[in-house]
Amino acid sequence: MTTIDAPRYTARHIDDLNMICSGQGGDGSLTVTTVLADLLRRDGLHVYTERDVLSRIKGGYAAASLRASAPERHAMGDHLEVVVAFEEQGVRRAIPRLAHDAVVVFDSSEGNLPEGLLPDGARLLAAPMGRYAVRDLGRTLYKNMIATGIVTRALGIPDDEVRDALRTRFKRLGQPILGYNLQALDLGFGAAEDLQVGEGLYNVTQTHGSERIQLTGNEALAFGFLVAGGRFFTGYPITPATDILDWLQKWLPQFGGIARQAEDELAAINMAIGAALTGVRSMTGTSGPGLALMQEGVSQAGSGEIPLVIVDTQRSGPSTGMPTKPEQSDINLMCFGGNGDFPRIVVAPGSVQDCFEIGIQATNLAEQFQIPVYVAMDQGTCQNLATIEPFDLDSIEIDRGKRLTQEQVDALGRYDRYAITSDGVSPYTVPGTAHGMSLVTGNERYPDGTVTTNPGNRRVMVAKRDRKLETAVRGGHLPSSVLWGDAEAEIGVIGVGGAFGPILEALERLEARGIAVAYHQPRTIWPVPRDTVEFINSRRRVFVAELNSAAQLAKLFIREGADPAKIQHVLRFDGEPMRPNDIVGPIASYCGQQ
Amino acid sequence: MTTLTTEPHVTQTFPIKDTIWCAGCGHFSVLNALDGSFGRLGIDGKDALVVAGIGCSGTIQNHVPAYGYHALHGRALPSAAGAKMANPELTVIAAGGDGDGLAIGGGHLMHTFRNNPSIAYIIMNNSTYGLTKGQASPTSQGGFRGFAAREQVDPVMLGLSIPATTFLARSYSGDGDQLEQLTDAAIRHANAGRGFAFLEVISPCVAYNDRYHEWPAHLVDVARTPGYDPRDRAGVFTQLLSWDEEGRVPTGLLFLNEDAPLADAAGPAQQDVDPASNREAYRKVLASFQA
Repeated sequence: MTTIDAPRYTARHIDDLNMICSGQGGDGSLTVTTVLADLLRRDGLHVYTERDVLSRIKGGYAAASLRASAPERHAMGDHLEVVVAFEEQGVRRAIPRLAHDAVVVFDSSEGNLPEGLLPDGARLLAAPMGRYAVRDLGRTLYKNMIATGIVTRALGIPDDEVRDALRTRFKRLGQPILGYNLQALDLGFGAAEDLQVGEGLYNVTQTHGSERIQLTGNEALAFGFLVAGGRFFTGYPITPATDILDWLQKWLPQFGGIARQAEDELAAINMAIGAALTGVRSMTGTSGPGLALMQEGVSQAGSGEIPLVIVDTQRSGPSTGMPTKPEQSDINLMCFGGNGDFPRIVVAPGSVQDCFEIGIQATNLAEQFQIPVYVAMDQGTCQNLATIEPFDLDSIEIDRGKRLTQEQVDALGRYDRYAITSDGVSPYTVPGTAHGMSLVTGNERYPDGTVTTNPGNRRVMVAKRDRKLETAVRGGHLPSSVLWGDAEAEIGVIGVGGAFGPILEALERLEARGIAVAYHQPRTIWPVPRDTVEFINSRRRVFVAELNSAAQLAKLFIREGADPAKIQHVLRFDGEPMRPNDIVGPIASYCGQQ
Repeated sequence: MTTLTTEPHVTQTFPIKDTIWCAGCGHFSVLNALDGSFGRLGIDGKDALVVAGIGCSGTIQNHVPAYGYHALHGRALPSAAGAKMANPELTVIAAGGDGDGLAIGGGHLMHTFRNNPSIAYIIMNNSTYGLTKGQASPTSQGGFRGFAAREQVDPVMLGLSIPATTFLARSYSGDGDQLEQLTDAAIRHANAGRGFAFLEVISPCVAYNDRYHEWPAHLVDVARTPGYDPRDRAGVFTQLLSWDEEGRVPTGLLFLNEDAPLADAAGPAQQDVDPASNREAYRKVLASFQA
């Protein structure tokens, strides 16, 4: 009935657990990691998760990964301690990353794993979970909770804690579904007994005093927009940006705000612009293909001087590409897309904390400078879950820029929507203000808003708009760069978004090998920060790690004055997230280590 | 006793300049009707936003003493809908041409009928692209620049086919009185929160598609048609199809649904958000992320 693959084991004490659960889409792999994440987070551990799915509702290889660690981590580690697989393919895919004593929980309903497939040291816990689920509960779907029972026993988590976690997580489903899941869990505990798992195979460190919150980058960004006074959002469903629409549809109405699904991305960005014209802080969000459609609107906001935040949760392109996979290949589109010359800002959060802070900053910047502000995310940054300290809600500031009150308008002899100013920003009014009526247009116009092609006016207007970025840079308004690691090191590394977590971890490993590295994390990528260029030019060698094939980020820096001879590209574009070893490897070999 | 009078101070803003339209252009009538509606309906221009598209018609906002927004080509409707959602207290009027609203922006029209935002939309239909010198548009008549006889889009029939539609009217720039009445009716419908008021104005282009001499023979005013009931959707469908077969084009208030529930106005979206007074509520959001 069950196979016993090894004698009783001794539990190993770890403070960094990496786990993957895989099967066909619809097998419930994500739920296994979600329940485990709930349990491990209660133990005070930092939890990080990733998903690897195909763009379909059911079927196809689908996996969810989880990392629970005492120190905060922003990426999966290189090795897997626990593998749960509902089919053989999942085990095969995980083999190259197995820890020396990995536990492999396998659904043997369709047969056992071939002899010798697993390396020595790996511990197989095989049970026909799918068959048990059908036999006792009538539905194969419950196999995921059987697996959960085996895994929690293997991790030495008390059964009652697991039952509690299930009750909380599945409360919404009600009976009888919750009951079936609890029964499946018991089947899992039984299978673990048969497999002689005993007190557990791993003993995961517990830390305590947890006020921590767990959320994705998308949620953190949307929350940042909310607290920055953002009250209008439109989007069109697209992976992986849809979570932002979902989250804001839930919360904005509770704060006097509106979140709507538009008929397409053209409507989404133009509705957001329409709302912005009334003085409401407005945002739209999309991913690559949708951003291509939105370019007309970004150019319009740039020309018409309309405050707007645009989120791009970048995914693998070109065209429809690999919709569920991470990439950072819209950097050129964000920095240079849209017809004509117009100022725009592109900010790039790395951690979930960054997503919150930069969400606030982007919303302020858009109104302060009356320009389009892009938030460059990627599938990793936006969807991966992290456990972090609660956000500081006490020091949030809202900067309305040069918005005129009725009293201020009344004090003016004359109001020009596009008045020429030394900082490039014109005072503005919104409908409802008496004597503040304006013509807002994407055409070139005189200061009073009337359309013209007058060459002298054109030169003055272009220069006025361009001054906005100079003002933003000079005033230190843009999200600042962060320096990590050894500031004095001759070797540097640069990366944003999904490269952030892996780089931080690579730094630790390199340090352990005696290699000092400085990590410069730019949080604004357009305009390119001066300190980014200086960082590159003042080192012996700088590794620019990015998720695209054309080195878009590195070339952006070179365009703005970075010395190409100093730069070594680290490029990943196979749809997989960046891993710490992608960075450790090239730097170690540059330093003569293998 | 001395009485001191002071002139009320009025801040100067954009000047109303001359139009770019040709003498005789149908759009003058539309402008005249729209401009006059503010006075007739008692709407203060400071509380109104006129959103125009691109093309000859897309300059109408420059000549109305209200807030004006010159949207992208084809995007007058989503821009106007966004503004109205955000601030339902505004009078929001979208205006544009047949190319703007039925070709490049055609997709939005269907969804605006469906979503039924309380805005008025005046489509100034001259059946050509005037500003780019006379190309065929989705409403060009058969024979115009190789256009086939039955290639035209009829936005009124489109609107009629969508159950959420509440107001459909058509007028003619040669009939100033009717145009004024229908412009007022459309804005009143929208401002009462009854939903999307669609008004097509046949507004001939004297430069590239001058059909003033033809129109009077084809038009039929439903107000002068005994028994015509704009509230009877099936009857309107039948009558409009029958006139279409005869080559006649109905004008007037063609369809009206006042029984529909008032359009959902979720807003206004807050403009001035004070972080301090929201702090406790934000903490609840934060708590939703706690384990």
